[in-house]
Amino acid sequence: METALVLSTIARALAFSTPLLWAALGEIVAERSGVVNLGVEGMMILGALTGFIVAQSSGDPWLGLVAAAATGAAAALLHAFFAVILRANQYVSGLALTIFGLGLSGLIGRGWVGRPLRNAMEYVSLPFLVDIPVVGPVLFDHQYALTWWGLIVAVALWFVLQHTRIGLIVRTVGENPAAADAAGVPVLRVRIAAVVFGGVMAGIAGGFLSLAYRPSWGQGMTNGLGWIALAMAIFALWDPLRAIFAALLFGAFFTLSFSLQDRFPPQLLTMMPYLFTILALTLTSLRKGDRSFGAPEALGEPYARGER
Amino acid sequence: MRTILLALLSLLVASSATAQDDPLKVAFIYVGPVGDYGFSYAHDLGRQALQEHFGDQIETVYVESVPEPEVEPFIDQLVADGADVIFGTSFGFGDGILAAAQRYPDVIFGWGTGIARAPNVLTYMADFYQVYYLNGLIAGALSTSDTLGYVAAFPIPEVKRHIDGFALGAREVNPDAEVQVRWLYSWFDPAGAKEATEALMAAGADVLAFTEDTPTVIQTAAERGHPSFSHYASMVEFSPETVVSGQLVHWDTIYIDIVEKVLDGTYTSTNLEDVDYFWLLEHGAVELGAEPGVPVAPAFIDDLEAVVLDHPEFGEIDVYDLVLRRNAQMTEGREVFDPFAGPLVDRNGNEVYAEGYLPTIDDLVGLEFAVPGVVGPWDNEPE
Repeated sequence: METALVLSTIARALAFSTPLLWAALGEIVAERSGVVNLGVEGMMILGALTGFIVAQSSGDPWLGLVAAAATGAAAALLHAFFAVILRANQYVSGLALTIFGLGLSGLIGRGWVGRPLRNAMEYVSLPFLVDIPVVGPVLFDHQYALTWWGLIVAVALWFVLQHTRIGLIVRTVGENPAAADAAGVPVLRVRIAAVVFGGVMAGIAGGFLSLAYRPSWGQGMTNGLGWIALAMAIFALWDPLRAIFAALLFGAFFTLSFSLQDRFPPQLLTMMPYLFTILALTLTSLRKGDRSFGAPEALGEPYARGER
Repeated sequence: MRTILLALLSLLVASSATAQDDPLKVAFIYVGPVGDYGFSYAHDLGRQALQEHFGDQIETVYVESVPEPEVEPFIDQLVADGADVIFGTSFGFGDGILAAAQRYPDVIFGWGTGIARAPNVLTYMADFYQVYYLNGLIAGALSTSDTLGYVAAFPIPEVKRHIDGFALGAREVNPDAEVQVRWLYSWFDPAGAKEATEALMAAGADVLAFTEDTPTVIQTAAERGHPSFSHYASMVEFSPETVVSGQLVHWDTIYIDIVEKVLDGTYTSTNLEDVDYFWLLEHGAVELGAEPGVPVAPAFIDDLEAVVLDHPEFGEIDVYDLVLRRNAQMTEGREVFDPFAGPLVDRNGNEVYAEGYLPTIDDLVGLEFAVPGVVGPWDNEPE
């Protein structure tokens, strides 16, 4: 019985946290380059809508996912324009993007409410793994491809950020843009690219919601998941590998708040992700000297040559 | 800001209807967007039917996505635009409506799902408890695991009536049936509804019902082929093969009745203190089914006819017949049959209604207990 609970919790945590992981990975890259984007919720919902519209019209959910990613990128470009090029306050610009995205998607999405997606993404069954007794059928049979891809992308991003020249450039721009600039790195272009990458990932996260997880469109359907993804990026201490752990933990709390509802007050479990994020923030400020724990040094600060 | 702009925009669009001599101006305030495919959508269908019914005699306008604490300025604007009758559809509009009603004593107000009245404020409600009971009869017959799943928004009396009605129906057909409840503590939480449904299915539930504002439960149950019940709007399209039945609302029956009585002078802005609509099957305000005119999806009728009971009231009867009989009885009136009629005990074994007692509307509006067969946490449960 308890094994079954543990296994189904892991399975559901993986499914629920898939959009969180994609969006959080994108945010991690953007923030590693020094740009906070509070527009994750807005980019996600715009991606969810265009993904749904394109998939519903074309009949191909993967085409929908491409549209969702492109929409996320376009929305992120807006943020990059204001926050990176015009050097507006990053927090205000991102917040505006979320409000804008929620409003615009509600307006455009009106005619698409009330119908399910006619050709939703299907579950995949992982060969060989699914044959493992007990564990296989629960964990590897009833999941979406994007769930597994999310894990792969997380590992790949970790590798790129930590062990490649591109990663070094992105990190340097986020830690010390002036030094990067002096070394000939095009700081603004790197930041714009990182923000747009974050948008692509948030768009995919939104697309996952409307194309796979709950294949339909509903106004406000992201319902705050973008904010949880933001918290996750912080809780993971801007590390893609830790983001996998954060996703599983946040996902487990969420699904357990339902499966253990008769034993635990569910509110206690649903507030855990936020509690953990606050703890993580506290930890980072306590260990300021330790580079592997801190936030990117120039996070939230617009860069202009010659200042500072 | 966004909601205000949207609201003003929709007000402009909606009010550019026909310019008539002096039609009665009826305004609606919705808590959600009309595109929510749930509560506000259903009220707006009611508004459209009302407009059609009275034609040039009335003019209807609406504002949507109005935040509950900010309803008063919207009322001010509607009154300034000449609204004669204002319906606030959500419970949370109550304080604003009652305050505004004092400032505008000549305007007639309707407080949907409300609990307090005034000389110019009436309350109205279309209640589903009878329909959930009928859904429960069906669910009890269809389940092979004897475990039914219920995804519920908030532990408030309205939702508790639904769950209790559902459990009473299920147990009438299948005395071993259990109704497992999972609470969302939200009216709108698609991811929560999905994970709650998954948790229920993992706990063995093989028939699902819900009270919340999305079709998520239907879609999630369908992934494993489990039957489910549609809520509020017709949700058949979300899974035509697995939606058995459901609950439909016809707010227009209430709106038409009220406006008719305003037009003929029965209702004025001074005599509404005791006007409370709590409309049920007998008034045509609610209906059994996932789409109008279809009480049970045809694909499931054979399954229901295959379950034959020895019923204390009807003798040998199959469940499909039982559903139709009970529906007919309740359509005749509450006194003919009511699932909550005494004797009734709660799940802790206390007698809540004695033999022969028919609970009053006030009893039902304040209902807090859980009936036997309901499993799960239950806030404010009587000891």
